[in-house]
Formats: sequence, C-alpha cells, structure tokens
Amino acid sequence: MSKSNSARKRWLISQAELETWLDGLAQARTLIAPRQVSGIMLYRPVARSDEIAWHGQTPKSAHAGRPVLSVKEIFFPPTERLFTIQKTRQEIRLEETFPDWETVVFGIRPCDARGVKLLDALFLDTNPVDSFYARRRWNTTLIGLACKELGPTCFCTSVGGAPDNAHDMDIMLYETDGGYLAEAVTEKGRYLIPGGKWKETTASPQQSTYSGQFPVPEKGKWPEHFNDEYWLKISERCLSCRACAYVCPTCRCFAVRDEMLAPGQFERIRCWDACAGENYRRVAGGHKPRAEKGERLRNRFFCKFYYYPEQYGLGAASACTGCGRCIEVCPAGVDITEVLMALEKPA
Amino acid sequence: MNENPMLPYLGKLVEVRDLAADIKLFRVEMLNGGGEAFRTFQPGQFAFVSAFGLGEAPFGIANASGRGPAVDFAVARLGSVTTGLHELGEGDIVGVRGPLGNWFPMKKFKGKNLIVLGGGIGGAPLRPVIQHVLDHRSDYGRLTILWAARHPSLLVFTDEYDEWRTGPDTDLHLTVDSPDEKWDHNVGLITQLLEKVSPSPENTVTITCGPPIMIHFVTKMLQEKMGFAPKNNYVTLEARMHCGMGKCGRCNLGEKLVCVDGPVFDMEEVGGLLETFL
Amino acid sequence: MNYEPRIIAFLCTWCSYTGADTAGIARIKSPANIRAIRVPCSGRVSPELVMRAFDQGADGVLVLGCHIGECHYDTGNHRAAKRLPILHALMQFAGLEPERFHLDWVSASEGERFSRIATEFTEAVRALGPVAWRIAPGGWQAAAESLLPPEKEVPMPALDCAGKTDAIRAKAKELLTSREVGCVIGYEVGPRGRTRPAFAYSAEEADRLVWNPDVSNNLASYLPVKLKPKGKEPPKKVAVVVKSCDSRAVNVLLAENQFTRDQVHVIGVTCEGVRDGSGSLQVRCQTCSERIPVVYDTLIGEPPAAVQAGAVARADWLEKLPPRERMEFWLSQFDRCIRCYACRQACPMCNCPICLYERDDSIWVGMGIGLNEKRTFHLGRAYHLAGRCVGCNECERACPMDIPISLLNQKLAGEIEKTFGHRAGLIIAPSPIVTVLSGEYKEG
Repeated sequence: MSKSNSARKRWLISQAELETWLDGLAQARTLIAPRQVSGIMLYRPVARSDEIAWHGQTPKSAHAGRPVLSVKEIFFPPTERLFTIQKTRQEIRLEETFPDWETVVFGIRPCDARGVKLLDALFLDTNPVDSFYARRRWNTTLIGLACKELGPTCFCTSVGGAPDNAHDMDIMLYETDGGYLAEAVTEKGRYLIPGGKWKETTASPQQSTYSGQFPVPEKGKWPEHFNDEYWLKISERCLSCRACAYVCPTCRCFAVRDEMLAPGQFERIRCWDACAGENYRRVAGGHKPRAEKGERLRNRFFCKFYYYPEQYGLGAASACTGCGRCIEVCPAGVDITEVLMALEKPA
Repeated sequence: MNENPMLPYLGKLVEVRDLAADIKLFRVEMLNGGGEAFRTFQPGQFAFVSAFGLGEAPFGIANASGRGPAVDFAVARLGSVTTGLHELGEGDIVGVRGPLGNWFPMKKFKGKNLIVLGGGIGGAPLRPVIQHVLDHRSDYGRLTILWAARHPSLLVFTDEYDEWRTGPDTDLHLTVDSPDEKWDHNVGLITQLLEKVSPSPENTVTITCGPPIMIHFVTKMLQEKMGFAPKNNYVTLEARMHCGMGKCGRCNLGEKLVCVDGPVFDMEEVGGLLETFL
Repeated sequence: MNYEPRIIAFLCTWCSYTGADTAGIARIKSPANIRAIRVPCSGRVSPELVMRAFDQGADGVLVLGCHIGECHYDTGNHRAAKRLPILHALMQFAGLEPERFHLDWVSASEGERFSRIATEFTEAVRALGPVAWRIAPGGWQAAAESLLPPEKEVPMPALDCAGKTDAIRAKAKELLTSREVGCVIGYEVGPRGRTRPAFAYSAEEADRLVWNPDVSNNLASYLPVKLKPKGKEPPKKVAVVVKSCDSRAVNVLLAENQFTRDQVHVIGVTCEGVRDGSGSLQVRCQTCSERIPVVYDTLIGEPPAAVQAGAVARADWLEKLPPRERMEFWLSQFDRCIRCYACRQACPMCNCPICLYERDDSIWVGMGIGLNEKRTFHLGRAYHLAGRCVGCNECERACPMDIPISLLNQKLAGEIEKTFGHRAGLIIAPSPIVTVLSGEYKEG
C-alpha cells in the first residue's frame, strides 16, 4: 500500500551510500538490476553494484537508457514450469514446483512499474490468483529510478504516467546533485531502508513538467473504430513478428504444453505467446480466426486500450504504459502513437 | 481447490467407447479431490482434459451432474492431444481441470419450451441439457431436439435416441447431409430440418451448438424467418484456449473471454460483440 | 574418466542396417554403445533428427547409408551426401566437435566394414569425453562476456537520393495510373522520420515513396502473402522496389513457386548501401558484390562505384575460436533469444504455413523458451535457409535482442558456394540441397 506523497519518509544519500546499500542487498537476497549482457541492457541478477549499467552504452542499438525487455520477465518469465509429471505403467504423479524467491529489483523506470501494476490486475486481482506470479510478486521489492527526461519513443505522460511517478514502486530514487533523494513509498520498501544510517530530509522531489504529447482515445471511443478500413491499411507492413508483444510490459498471452524431460518424465510449461502470430487462434480442426493480419493488429491495439481494461477492471486507464519499446523494436515501422493520433482525428 | 489453478485433478477412465467415426466418449471418475470440485456442475460448463505428456484441451462436459458422479467427455480425434486421448483405454489416468466457464440458465428456462439443435460433435455439450430436462421433466415445457451430422457415421449418442424420443412431450428429429443405405430419416442441412419443424417462438428458447457456420445460419433463420428474439437463442461457442480461466488472453471475442464470460452466450450478447465468432 | 559414449546410429534399412546384422551374424564385434535407429534411407535423415539426438544427450551421431550408386531408392543417399555435410559444418560452427557427427557408407554384406566404422567412431567420441552440447535446464551460466569484435565502421557513401526518389515516384505513378499494377510496394518516411515499407495504391499515394540511406527492409517478403492470398482471388499485378539483395530474394521465391514472374513488376534500384543505427554503412553492404539488381523490369540508378572490401572480422574471429569457446559464444547469444520469431517473419524465404519449430505437435523441438530449444530453432532455421538466404540480414536487424544470427546464414552460404558453386538468387534456381521431384520443376 503506498502512502500519500506527504506522508512518505525521505532521505538524501550519496552515490557511495547507494552502492554500499545495493551491495548489501545483493549479499542477503537476489538483486536484479539493469546490466549489459553481450552488448544490450537487460534486467539480470548482479552480485555487486558495480555490475549495474547506469546509463546504456550499447554501440549499435537504440535501446540506450533502459533494458530491452521490461521487468515483466521477472514476474512472468518467458518459460515457467507449472508442474512435473511422472508416468509409469501403474500411475501418474504430479509434482508442483513453485519459484523460491526473495528478490529486490533496482533501477525500474515508472513505465515498467506501471506495467507490473497492470499485470497485477490480471494475475492477482482477478480470480483465480496465479500462484506463480503471486509468489514472485509478493517476495519482490521494487526500487525505482526516476527518469530525468523522456526518451525518443517515450509517451508515458500520454497514458496517465510520468517520468517521476513513484506510485507503483516500493522505494523511489530521484537523481539530485551529488546523489539521490530516496523515498519509501510502501511499508515493504521502508523495511529495506537501512535505518539510522541515512540522512533524513523533508525535501520533496522536483516534479517533472512533462505533459502528454499524444491524444489517447478514451476507452468508450474504441468500439466505433472497430470496422475502420484503417486497420487493414496499417497492417500491410506488419510482419506478424510479435517482437512488440514480447518487449511490452503488459502483454501477457501465454501457451501451455507438456514437454518431455526423460522417458516417462514430463513437465507442463507455460511460455510467452502473442496474438500477432498467424496461428495463434488456429483450432485443431484447421479453422483459423483472425487469419487476416489487419484483424490481428487490430486485436493487439484493442486489447491494450479496450479489452484488457474492460476485462480486468482498469477503470478509465489503458493497459499501455507509454514505454515506447514496441515502437523501437518494430522492424516494419508500425507505430502505436501514430495509431492513437489517427483514431483521435475526427472521422 | 488447489493453490495452483493450473494443476489438474487426476481422473480414471471408467469407460471408453466409440460414439461415431473418430469420436469417442470418455467417462471419467475423479480421484484426488476432483470429486469435490465436480460434485455439481452445470449444463454448458467445460473442463480441460489432460493427456499427460502431450498437453490438455478444453471439452464440453457431456452429461448432467445428476447422472454423475462420473464426468463424460466426447472427444474427436483432430490434433495431438486428442490423438493421445484416443490411444488411452479403460483404467488409464487422465487429468481434469474444472468445471470451468458459465452455464445454460436452466432456472430461467423453467416453464418454457426448449429447442435443442446439435450439429455433429456439437451435440455433446447439449446432452447435459437434454438429460437435465428429462430428469426434471415437469419443470420444463415441450422439448424438441434437432440432431444433425454430415453422415450417419458421425451422429453422436445414437444409442440414447430412444430414451430421448420416448420422453414425455419430447420430439427428436434427425438429419444428415449425405445418407447411407440404411438411413430412413431426413436428408439435408439442419436449417432445412428446422424449416420443416417450423417452431413457434412463443415461450420458447433455443440452444444451438455445432460448427460456427452452422450456429450462424441456424440462429439467422430463427431470428429472421421464425421470429425468435436474439436473447432467447442460446449458443455455446468454442475458441482455442490454453488456461480456461481468463488469464492467457487467447480466447477473447472482442472484450469477452469465451472461457469466463462464456462458453454460453445468448445471441443478443453475441450480436453486441465487436468480433465475430466465425 | 570412465564414461561410455552413447552413440545414436541412423542406419538405412537396405544396406547399413543389414550390414550391422551381417556383422552380428558373423559374430564380428561391434561396440555396444551404438543404439541403432532404422530409417528407410539415409536420405531420410533430416537435420531435425540429428539435432534432436544431440539435444537429448547423444555423445555422437553416426549416419550410415548405401554406397553411392547402390541406393535402393536411386538417389536417396545423394540427398544425404548433399545435406548432411552442410549440417555438419553448421553444427561445427556452433561449437560441436566435428568428430561427433559422421556420415559413411556401408553395404548389406559389409559386416566387417560396419564394425570397423562403428568402432573407430566410438573411440573417436570416447576420446573427446562426454558431450557438452545438451544444456540441463538452468544449467548454463556465461563463463565470461562473449563479445564479437566490432566490424570496421565504414562511412556511408554518397547517394543520389533525390534522383532515385523522383524516378521511383514517376514509375510508380505510371504503373498505377495505367493500371498495369494494383499496388506499388516501396519505402516511405513515417511520422517519426523513420523509413519503412509503404504500399501505394494510387498516384497520390505514390508521392509518399522515397529512396534514402535507410531503405533497409527487404520488400520481397511481402510478395508471397500479397500475391497468393489463401482462399481469395490473387490481386492484380504488384510492383515492388528492390535493391540487389532483395532482387535475389525475388528469384529464390520464383524458383520456389511462391508466385509467377508475370505477377510482379520489379522496380530494381542500384544501391550503394544502407545505413545502420549508428549512421555507418551496414555490415552486409560492406561485402555486397552485386550493386545492380539481378532481376528487374525497370532499372533505376547508375551502376555504383566499386565496393570497399571489408566485414570479415566477425566471421573470421569465430572461425578461429576453439570449438568449446565457439559453443560458449553461441550459447550466450541464444540465451538472450526470446523466441519472438521476428527473425523468421522478417525473412522473405521463411513462409511455411506453419513453421516446423512452432507446430503444436512439435516433436523436434519443445515450445519452451529454453536454451536447447532456442539453439535448435536457430540452427534449424539457418539450415533450412542454406542455399536460399540472400544475405539481406533483415533477420538480424529485426532481432530485438541484437543477436548476430546472420553469421549462421553467412557460414552456410559460404559452405554452399564452396561445395556447389551456388549463390542464392543469382538465377531462378532452387537451393542445391533441396530435393526437387522430377517433373515438377522447370528451369526458368
């Protein structure tokens, strides 16, 4: 539960104090933070704070400044074992395997944290509770890092977010001259702050002044656009490659299947899938709904701004965090902000 | 209820028999706790049946819970999971997850006439409705069953037709697209049979299940030619599913999920959906 | 260390399996390590079978067929002789020791020969120790950062963008207005200033088409779907703007009957190279030797100046690594993969209705996003593209995780050229390792 802004405790810390603290966290728990992995930035476990990539320095990629994959992969990993199956002639035995977890994630940007909250609406707040997501989520503390500026594809302010929004974090850090302003947003976050060692402050973080650049049609306006020719037109360049869904902080479609481990031993796994794929809805008899690319691309946008909010009670909010990763990775130039602007134009 | 909703109950196959060409009936007796979960289930609900080692797939529950405690599933051999199931025999163990989905509002149907239209294996999820009505006969009005298949070898539950047609105030009409030499009932599509039967919409609800195209043309005829209000035409829809609980996102028809908002819908609801089920 | 290698041997029914039998009947000893799998013909052994064997923990895979000229199916063993060495080169490139995979010929009466080959192979595999190919779940950690050396940064050459833009627009307008084509597929600049594919259906829309340093997409990948829509009437003729690499893709697609020549009007544009994310010349352009499209109906642009040679640093470095380090390198690359299939979708030649690696009944590779599966997908896809890949590198550009997968395709393109003298798409001809049933294919 997050406290209101004025009730939050704050501290001023130096870079060195931050690093010492992170080193300590890495010792006692698993610390996950953005780091360079063979040339790109990803959220990965770090053993020491000096392994953390503070600012992306990726030679050829445009992803500087934030990990290519959102933090969703920590709570909803690309592949997850649901249970194992032992099959002998006499019997079948199922054994559940749950993740064992006590993790701290550092360096999350507000858009990614917002994504986690949106996934909570699906995996936690809608029955039945997803036990795998829940265990990871309840045993993870989120330490956020406010953005000093918007990236080239960012549009969080257009979807109700902000580069310094602490609302979805447990602890929030704001860069200041010579250090950071640290803010305990929730009790869970407060628990991790080294009591007595940090200098308390009554200073407030400087509010960012960014405002929304792209108009987002409100939820109720989407149905009237369902049959627009527009979807067929913009989908021509789409390759159905699904990269957008995989880097998205809130896309959550998954597939379930049994895989063999050894003779008589299987595991049932779930793994990421995406509605952009051509065979996503194909049934065993061969019938293939959404065979047209335009129908699939339309489904992706509608799900983000209408279906998901309707299905999981998001109120007026959309399921888009405005992180802009989909714009960056699309090899064919499909642009979500272009779609939003086109829909807002008077018919 | 398991902590892990993706963990199936184990069930033993107490009966496996051929229903039609490449369609088998599996009767499952729940083993470890599934008995509690499946003590009462409603007509129209479905469950995921696991062929362990291959995967699981959703199937409509094909009997009324009053005719339990075992649970029936009609399985057509079409893909890898169903082929795996078809290779199992009596005594083998399968997994069952459920009961899932919504159900036919049998309480709302009390006192009304019911027309049940089943096409091919689509008849399986309608069998619980028929059984429920026959077991609570005085609660319901006239029961008219239209049962169709492409060929006599594809008709399901043939050995129960006598029970159905001899029920009080119950009619059974059969039709096939292409007959064999022994066929002596109607020949033609179910829509042609429906025209022959020509039911009145007065105090009547219809329940249709079959291939999407059949649902489309049957409900179109009921609504456009016979004066049925869409909200009195119930259907059970299918979609490819992986979780069956509203998490994996695969089965959406527009803003509704077939696994939690369905699979039972009335045609007014369906007509209001953004996406077509076709 | 005392370990007994587990060898999977694919033996063909007519010769080598019978040869193994002959050895047994004559009481000639053969190692018990050999687990035989009988196949109708050595030509049946596809890369998926071999990779599956290694994925499941085989220390070595042996394929034995009839001697050339003696195949029960005439040319089945020709197929094995063509395909399996290519697979061998690929797996070696991925870090498998070459001694672990062997193809040989044994006839039904050659019991001694079977025994000798089986024994020698088993001993060779034994000497290598247990295989490190199969990765246990959660069992691989990067030993150290495995980074490719960067290629030389080559500045972009001077381009005649304005002239080519005008010419493309003029041609597009002409084709659309005369109704010779229904659509022109070209490039446009999107609202963020990024160049992307465009589909012009009228003369006004043709005014959006451009030519600039960022025309990277291979537009040929849109042709199969556009020209052969399932269950619908094929549309009118379509025009497509192609660079030389894209034009070779058109030839490969024509060779594979994805559409017919009269369905497409090829607007070929000479190309001095395209730009990468940092503003330099893309790596693939540094070794491009065709600057003029090889197939076209209209040609725009002057033949460009000679190519600057370069861009072998990455491939060279990999070739020189010892097998174990090469394997570690590739594992670190595949570890990042999220199996989004962007590489496959961006490729013009990947157009199977259902990808072998995505099937619901996938028996060759699991659905999970695990290291073994990802490696098998990428190696398998590279193999399926051998002799068909034109080196446009769009797969690598599309990859959100910056995995240098084009290196796999380059390796096999080199092998194919070395072995068969074939380069994809120079003429309309299928890959030399594709089996074409007689009577179905006509030289064109």
